[in-house]
Amino acid sequence: MIGARRAGLTALALGLIAAALLHCGGAPPLFDGIIVPPEPYRWESPPANLKNGNKPPLSGETTLPVSNGQVPGGGVQTGDNQVIMFFGPGAFKAPPAAQSVKCTIEPDASPPPAPSGVDIRGNVYRVNCVAQPDTGAVTVTSTYHLTLRFPPGAFQEIQYKDGNSWRALTTLRAPGGDPYASVNAPGFGEYAATAPTGAPSGDSIFTVLGRYVEFYGILAFVILFGVIAIIQEIRRRRRRAPTPTLPRKRGRGNP
Amino acid sequence: MIQAGLAAPRRAMRVTGLVLAAALLRALLLPAGDLLSTGVFGACLLAISWAERAAPTPPSPASGGGTLPAAMGKVASIVAGLMVGAILLAPVVGGRLSGRPLADFWTWAAIAAVIATLEETAIRGALYQRWSEEASPAVAIVAGAAVFALIHLPRYGLAAMPLDAAVGLALGGLRAVSGRVLPCAIAHSIADWGAWFWA
Repeated sequence: MIGARRAGLTALALGLIAAALLHCGGAPPLFDGIIVPPEPYRWESPPANLKNGNKPPLSGETTLPVSNGQVPGGGVQTGDNQVIMFFGPGAFKAPPAAQSVKCTIEPDASPPPAPSGVDIRGNVYRVNCVAQPDTGAVTVTSTYHLTLRFPPGAFQEIQYKDGNSWRALTTLRAPGGDPYASVNAPGFGEYAATAPTGAPSGDSIFTVLGRYVEFYGILAFVILFGVIAIIQEIRRRRRRAPTPTLPRKRGRGNP
Repeated sequence: MIQAGLAAPRRAMRVTGLVLAAALLRALLLPAGDLLSTGVFGACLLAISWAERAAPTPPSPASGGGTLPAAMGKVASIVAGLMVGAILLAPVVGGRLSGRPLADFWTWAAIAAVIATLEETAIRGALYQRWSEEASPAVAIVAGAAVFALIHLPRYGLAAMPLDAAVGLALGGLRAVSGRVLPCAIAHSIADWGAWFWA
């Protein structure tokens, strides 16, 4: 028993110290494998019914060193994880005199109008990289990976505006109903999630029903397990409880 | 006595295999949705704990025979569980708060707590007990931490394994110190709930 206690105290101390070091200020991952619902979409210009409680979207930036105009691979994401970009080495080219490149993702407070027949769903984000010191433009030599979160409702594809016009990009939606979609981004400019004007919100009766069935189905399972466990525990305790000794009327009886 | 001693390793290995198989089954069922995979996983853990609890505990040299007595009272163990849960959360509470509404928290928290408790009942309960009987509490703690890290691999990937192993080690230590599963379930649930507010 003392050995168990000593081993336990050592493991407890080691485990807690290691966990604290490994957290490193990052988000706490779950230890039981349950999905955490995403936090509400942060709107730059929320619909009237979502104005209360809306939090403004956050921007993101990173600075990368440059060597002979070559920008190393890297990534940047907004503080609210609504936009994430990754790029490989050589995806961007900086002016030879540049010492570093600063890449930013910012929600656009006054976005350009949507193309005709299309609704912008959620925020428009401006993605850009600039050379430091500013000795010229940073150019995109190959595509980079951009992931965008879209708000609940209709969604079809991500569109890109390079300064002149919007164009649709081949869009890959995240599996499992996650509200994210990715594209191979061809350049710097504005990106937005879009859907055809008047498209159904996507929340058909079956979608809504499916969502509720899933959530309350898990809850039903949980309640069922809990009830079974409690019943078993009560039975087990009853079996273990000592039976009162009855006075024997005749014979020796069983022990 | 010799037969019981030889049978014990098989049982510890069997429980370990069953818990890992439950996690594998869950991973295979993930594409079918969280409802099915979580439900099946929970049912498997409950069945393992149930079956192992019903099975008689053979005496062994490692454990001294029979079920190990609880080293802490219930209240003390609850306090210990709360403290360990708070320590696990401490490194992240200074981070950015998520915008998830508090109104939706309670149902999710109840589900997370039950799944966490089922995991603890299977790993720090049945599995710990069997490994303690077969080898030693230290082996039981390490085996529990390894299984804990492995069962979360499909969901969180390799990057989360060291942290899950460390948390598994701490929870195993708490089990050994307290002699109870309850504080482990409390600490685990508290650590999980933090994800709602800071993940």
